[in-house]
Amino acid sequence: MFSKLALKNVTRSLKDYSVYFLTLTFGVCIFYVFNSLDSQWVMEALQGGEKSSILDATLMLVDIFSVFVSVILAFLILYANNFMFKRRKKELGTYMLLGLSQGRISSLLFLETLFIGVFSLAIGLALGVLLSQFISVFTAGLFQITIPQFHFVFSLKALLKTLLYFGVIFLVVMVFNSFAVSRRQLIDLLQAERKNEDLKLKSIRSSVVLFVLSIIFLGVAYTMLLKRGLLHIDALFFVMLGLGSLGTLFFFRALSGFLLRVFQANQKLYYKGLNMFTLRQFAARVGSNYVSMTVICLMLLLAIGITACSVGMNNTLDTLTNAQAPYDFYLSAERRSSETGETTPVDVPATLRRAGFDPAAQLSAGAEVTVWYSEVKIPQYAGTDDEFLDYTGILPLSTYNAMRALAGQRPITLEPDRYGQTLSDWDSRTEIMSEDPVLEIQGHALLADSRAVFHENLSIGYSTGSFFYLIVPDEVLAYGGDWTADKPIVIERYFCGNYRADVPKEQTEALLHDTLSQFHRLAFENDGGSSRFNTKLEIYMETMGTKIMVLFLGIYLGIVFLLCSAAVLALQQLSQAADNAPRYRILARLGAEEKMRSRSVYVQVLLAFLLPLLLAIVHSVVGMTAANAVIAQVGRLDTVASSAVTAAFIVVFYGTYLLATCWGSKRIVKSR
Amino acid sequence: MEPILTVSNLQKYYGSKGSVTRAIDDVSFSVRQGEFVGIMGASGSGKTTLLNCISTIDRPTAGHIVIGGQDTTRLKSKELSKFRRERLGFVFQDCNLLDTLTAFENIALALTILKTPVNKIDGMVRQTADLLDIADCLKKYPYQLSGGQKQRVAAARAIITGPDLVLADEPTGALDSKSARLLLDRFEVLNSERDATILMVTHDAFTASYCHRILFIKDGRSFTELIRGRDSRKDFFAKIIEVVTLLGGDDRDVL
Repeated sequence: MFSKLALKNVTRSLKDYSVYFLTLTFGVCIFYVFNSLDSQWVMEALQGGEKSSILDATLMLVDIFSVFVSVILAFLILYANNFMFKRRKKELGTYMLLGLSQGRISSLLFLETLFIGVFSLAIGLALGVLLSQFISVFTAGLFQITIPQFHFVFSLKALLKTLLYFGVIFLVVMVFNSFAVSRRQLIDLLQAERKNEDLKLKSIRSSVVLFVLSIIFLGVAYTMLLKRGLLHIDALFFVMLGLGSLGTLFFFRALSGFLLRVFQANQKLYYKGLNMFTLRQFAARVGSNYVSMTVICLMLLLAIGITACSVGMNNTLDTLTNAQAPYDFYLSAERRSSETGETTPVDVPATLRRAGFDPAAQLSAGAEVTVWYSEVKIPQYAGTDDEFLDYTGILPLSTYNAMRALAGQRPITLEPDRYGQTLSDWDSRTEIMSEDPVLEIQGHALLADSRAVFHENLSIGYSTGSFFYLIVPDEVLAYGGDWTADKPIVIERYFCGNYRADVPKEQTEALLHDTLSQFHRLAFENDGGSSRFNTKLEIYMETMGTKIMVLFLGIYLGIVFLLCSAAVLALQQLSQAADNAPRYRILARLGAEEKMRSRSVYVQVLLAFLLPLLLAIVHSVVGMTAANAVIAQVGRLDTVASSAVTAAFIVVFYGTYLLATCWGSKRIVKSR
Repeated sequence: MEPILTVSNLQKYYGSKGSVTRAIDDVSFSVRQGEFVGIMGASGSGKTTLLNCISTIDRPTAGHIVIGGQDTTRLKSKELSKFRRERLGFVFQDCNLLDTLTAFENIALALTILKTPVNKIDGMVRQTADLLDIADCLKKYPYQLSGGQKQRVAAARAIITGPDLVLADEPTGALDSKSARLLLDRFEVLNSERDATILMVTHDAFTASYCHRILFIKDGRSFTELIRGRDSRKDFFAKIIEVVTLLGGDDRDVL
């Protein structure tokens, strides 16, 4: 009979507190989906059979984030539970009045929480399993991966983990409830309703002062952020954070009073229909809810920021791949003689052809690159430490132009007595070269050509290393004679090229891969040797791993924060609508039509949902402007795309809760 | 003169086929302009149901209610809201003020719902407040007011729109005797100076003694009618007690 009462209470609560259940179920669902990532087939497809360290890192980070997320969800659930507890005080008091001991009531609540927990876990997990089927399809579509045969995705690990984490959360809730009951006096429980109606009405003048103060605080924090940048972390950074948070707190503390003041100044608007009632109502609520509004605003800021930045980064990385790999593949091989130990570069294209891969047929373009070394003298520093330029690769102009052609760029020209430079963003030789010194190579005195300085990447996969090549007219290196001492020598020789455009690149690359062992046999014969093979597709795959990591983690956290803020808001609004039901009854008796009353409700719900959102958007626009400066170093943050995706997320999640709240509140107001 | 309120053959049944409760069983009466009428009866006699039907909050099962020439039983629910805010004023036992609004705003709300021009609101509120002796507490919130003051604010809200009929449901129910007397004094003033027509439901004989005429209801039917005429209030009170005793019979909780 006892558990029957508990079960009955739960089913009744289902109707009354749908938002609470919605949130629990969503929480479980999201938790499962992200923890089941390791069993997604798309992950295997992305790893391409080999273990990718970045994907492992992603999964590990999901693990770590999940602990964090579960703490957040625990707080959210405790909050919602507390909210339900408050609304049931009178009922619990009645049980006590009827002679139920506190211990019995505690165990009643314990049972209820257990039922609720089991129920929401079951539905949430079912939803999660269903949703996780689509994750692979979604990701595959995002990264243009051909879909292997569909198979059912289920992660036992994620299931157990979800059960464990949420089990602990529910246990905490149970303990909390028992504790809460045992500390309450009967009189408090019975009179709870009366006490709830206490209103904290504050002086309006003080709120105007506070409002001005909050604007000043926010202004100072914004200016600091924009002037100092995002990653300048020191004492002032925390001052800035503090000012921003305090400004937000003051803003919501003062906003209602300020709005009231503004509207009261305009009598025509104030004394129109139910405006007066709506504003007063809103003011009375915000006065007691400003802390939660602040938290909601900051959570929304996090959600917007994280989602926007992760999606933005995702698009940025696309550009990054192209920068890291200017052409489709790179292949070099060196043969080391087993007798002398001397190494000689292999003629790659010819060997490839013999191994069964005909560059002429399979490639749209190819270039044999020979990088030379020769002494480079700087006459103006003769006799000092800087007389010779550090070990420097030299490229003939024709080779350099062939490589440019592969990357889809126009060829350059050089005067016979000029040299150009191609270098990464930073190099130790940059300082000397910035003086445009005259260089002496192979007896040629060359002048700097300031138009021919290129910051770029010539190889595949050298994104972080620094390199520096001089570009010289071909004649400089075309020694014909018999120097013995300082003739230029070949330091690197490789073949690079682009695959045919009319055949899928994966196909050509697979063919090339298959030829490699034969290539090695032919190239090294009986000797040893080493070879290097890099491709754009590999880089793309690797970058994609990073992309997925950023995207998944960002969306994971973003959704959780969004969920929290929307749920908290919805719960608050619904509970307040219930508190306000008698007030709407009075309005009805005074002859306010249902349309007027509903409008008043909608305005209040909209204000409560949109004000924190608006401030959060302002915050994040400023924040993203600062973040852009950081990300611009890696690539550009695509603001349009990220804003669009963020907006979509907010509309779906926040909008659902907003609609549910409007609907629920209206139902409460409509019933007599 | 045409009566301001005519109730004819009013019936209100609750329940389903099996067990029907006749809350009001064929009640008829009328109230003329400027009258101060009381309705008395034991709890469960149907007096509140009657008032709810007249105030258009509840719909009667049969019969007609005509207020100011308008048959309210024929109005649609949308028209009812309009009718309520234009023709009727309410005072309830628990005063029903909005606790988030000041006394002034509570009174003004009745006007803003009626879409009264802004420039008229201030004057009208102050004038009515003077009449009800609450001019000095207009800036206060309900929680800062005494029960009697709250009830007078509610009365001001009820009459400020100049309704055809003011309906009061146990207005003194939650007041101490001194506050109750003050409120009833004000009702008399409203009745005499504003010519307000008041219909008041009460089970308290003292409160009822302020009325000009009292309808007694028992088990959903009209029981008797008492007219004050030229009696002093004390004499009228004694007469009321007599009827109540008679009415009560075995019912002890009448008083």
